Amino acid sequence: MSDLSAQRGTSRRRLLTWPLSLDPRAAAADHWIRIHRRAMACRFEITLSGEDAADVPAARAALDEADRLEEALSVFRDTSHLTAINRTAADAPVAIDAELFALLDTCRRLHDDTGGAFDITSTPLSRCWGFLHREGRLPPLDAIDSARALVGMTHVALDAGAQAVRFAKPGVELNMGSIGKGYAVQRMCDLLARRGAPHALVSAAGSSIAALGGRGRGWEIDLHSRQRAGTPLARVFLRNGALATSGAGEQFIEVDGRRYGHVLDPRTGWPASGVLSATAIAGDAATADALATAFLVGGVDLARAYCASHPETLAVVFPDDGSPRARIFGSFRDAIVEDA
Amino acid sequence: MNLTPEQQAVGRRNFLKAVAGLPALAGLGVAAAAKGPVRGGPVRLGFIGVGGEGRVLLNQTDPAFGEVRALCDINPSQLAKSDDVLKKNKLPPARHYSEWREMLEKEDLEAVVIAVPLWAHADVTVGCLDAGKHVLCEKMMAWDVPSCERMRQAALRNKRLLEIGYQRAYNPVYQSAFTGVIKAGALGDLFSARLAWHRNGSWRRNGEPPSPGYDPSKWGYPTFEHLYNWRLYKRYSRGLLAELASHQINIVNWFFEAIPEAVSGAGSIARYKDREVWDHVHATWEYPGGRHVTFSSVESNAFDRTYEAFYGTKGTLIMRGESEAYLFEEGGGSRSQAPTNIEVTPKAGGPAMDASESRIADAASSSQARGGNAAPGAGAERLSSYKLEVSGFCSSVRTGAPLACGPDKALRSALACLKADEALDQKTRVLITDPIGTSSTT
Repeated sequence: MSDLSAQRGTSRRRLLTWPLSLDPRAAAADHWIRIHRRAMACRFEITLSGEDAADVPAARAALDEADRLEEALSVFRDTSHLTAINRTAADAPVAIDAELFALLDTCRRLHDDTGGAFDITSTPLSRCWGFLHREGRLPPLDAIDSARALVGMTHVALDAGAQAVRFAKPGVELNMGSIGKGYAVQRMCDLLARRGAPHALVSAAGSSIAALGGRGRGWEIDLHSRQRAGTPLARVFLRNGALATSGAGEQFIEVDGRRYGHVLDPRTGWPASGVLSATAIAGDAATADALATAFLVGGVDLARAYCASHPETLAVVFPDDGSPRARIFGSFRDAIVEDA
Repeated sequence: MNLTPEQQAVGRRNFLKAVAGLPALAGLGVAAAAKGPVRGGPVRLGFIGVGGEGRVLLNQTDPAFGEVRALCDINPSQLAKSDDVLKKNKLPPARHYSEWREMLEKEDLEAVVIAVPLWAHADVTVGCLDAGKHVLCEKMMAWDVPSCERMRQAALRNKRLLEIGYQRAYNPVYQSAFTGVIKAGALGDLFSARLAWHRNGSWRRNGEPPSPGYDPSKWGYPTFEHLYNWRLYKRYSRGLLAELASHQINIVNWFFEAIPEAVSGAGSIARYKDREVWDHVHATWEYPGGRHVTFSSVESNAFDRTYEAFYGTKGTLIMRGESEAYLFEEGGGSRSQAPTNIEVTPKAGGPAMDASESRIADAASSSQARGGNAAPGAGAERLSSYKLEVSGFCSSVRTGAPLACGPDKALRSALACLKADEALDQKTRVLITDPIGTSSTT
């Protein structure tokens, strides 16, 4: 057997430090706990750091909140409040509860503030282009014009006194597709905070995210585009705020060699173009959700203008012009954006 | 196992992910949290028994926690393979011994990791404790109850640590399940658990003696076959109950915070007539409060594989393959609620999640969870809890931090399995009384 003392001396010096984590059973902090359930045709998920395992029951209660809101907001459920509005609001005012009224009021404000780029009445356009049921097609031009005539919040009257909604004409429809998930995520985040959870990341479909707390620099979130699989576009550290991402993604139609994404510009009736991915960071997830869609539709100009007039809003827009750089506008107190 | 529609959905998803070359669940990171220096140093370790299990522990010994000084095995081939493990991990070689007493005399060791055949656990462990060493001994604790008690007394007498190696006790998936599901009351009233460890194979190992004239008879093995396949011989082994059920019963004792009061069941040598231990085992333990736990291990069908399932009035928790946890809520509400799933994934230096345009249906929230940059598979996940186990033991030696499975817990779970062995042997229901009393919790 050879004399190992020389080697030992080296290794002992090298190893004189002792790991701070004296009890590796505390390694709970080294893993994520993800509690998820399917709702609104996507995955709703709460991410907890391992040491917050005691908040799992609160996370499950938050998922129940997602189920409740799906009942209320989905146009795909015959029993939802929204379905009832769409069925009868052209005939007479429909009284609604305070929660839904407040949400519709928020939608109208966001519609106005984004110059109509965010619009919950664009269903006739989606139907016309076939995106409602994932059967995209290039419609006849007159069909687009007819659909456009039914789109716009000007056709939706909100009566605060009676807490009621009425449509100006038949054919108008409300659809929470571009804000509903963010709204639900925010309500879930609020519930977790009320239940005393210090840190949690709530998400829906990977696109609508609300951050409660956040250790260190904050919750680390990579921004991706489905059109550029693999490397993230950017990295965000977020504390006590919300983030939403929108993109043309995988749903598109191709006509005569030209691609049309599934996100429509309600102002023109045509698919949005020019932006690969748009991310909005704001104080609440419903707003972030609506703005992400609006910035995808309205592009760099809208993002710049909106962030200039609205504090605590940050936009990260990747133009679809082959340039690898993000265009960043505005700021948010607890968000850091870095190149990935 | 009858699959509910929800479980089938999980199974389908796992299948699709497997087809896509992605693990169903990204498992635990390999790294034990080892950050920043404090005073002290790695524990000076010797290994006794470096066969398959011993080498797993050797391979997972983090040099920041344990410094491997010496290796002991009666089979020189195993020592040579252990050298390769150390070399692969870029660690200095360790001195070799075939006699553990000689190793204790000649080496300046603080602690010993023991992974010898079950029947030898007690003699080697007691010898090491009497020599003033701390001991991490592989599970199950010992071949019979008096041996377990002898080990426990030796630890108490010598004021040395004795940890029995149940790696699940160090596994963050189980820790999360206990804290976040069991203790949080998410299962409601819990009366029932089912344990399964099903395989389709003989459990026999094929190996060559280290040299043509190799004679292990002085160590109690008439032939090399007796040494190499010791698990199949009753005088060395307690078969499936000791090697497999003890892992799972240890979890049930932890989650139920109790030990069983009685056990019954059936065992048979049905398929492989070459052995003295059963190749098919079914056992039912009765816990206080009317709680029942069943265990089955068959060597003729692998469909069910390995799981521990806990059935409560509000939900079902399934721990599968040491790396996955699933939670299903009980139905009964007016609406058809989708199942809630809980997954545990390593942080591994990656982001908490990946944001992108909306993903449909069951798409996971991060590339880690989707397997994009995750550890390769269940193997790596399982191994990481061995690493935590060895590191945890070393931490306890250095700092006095509590053990995950000290002699009292280990004796109690071994007792449950040894009494099951007795019940199956005698084809009768055997009562179990706690030999320690209720005050001790180590």
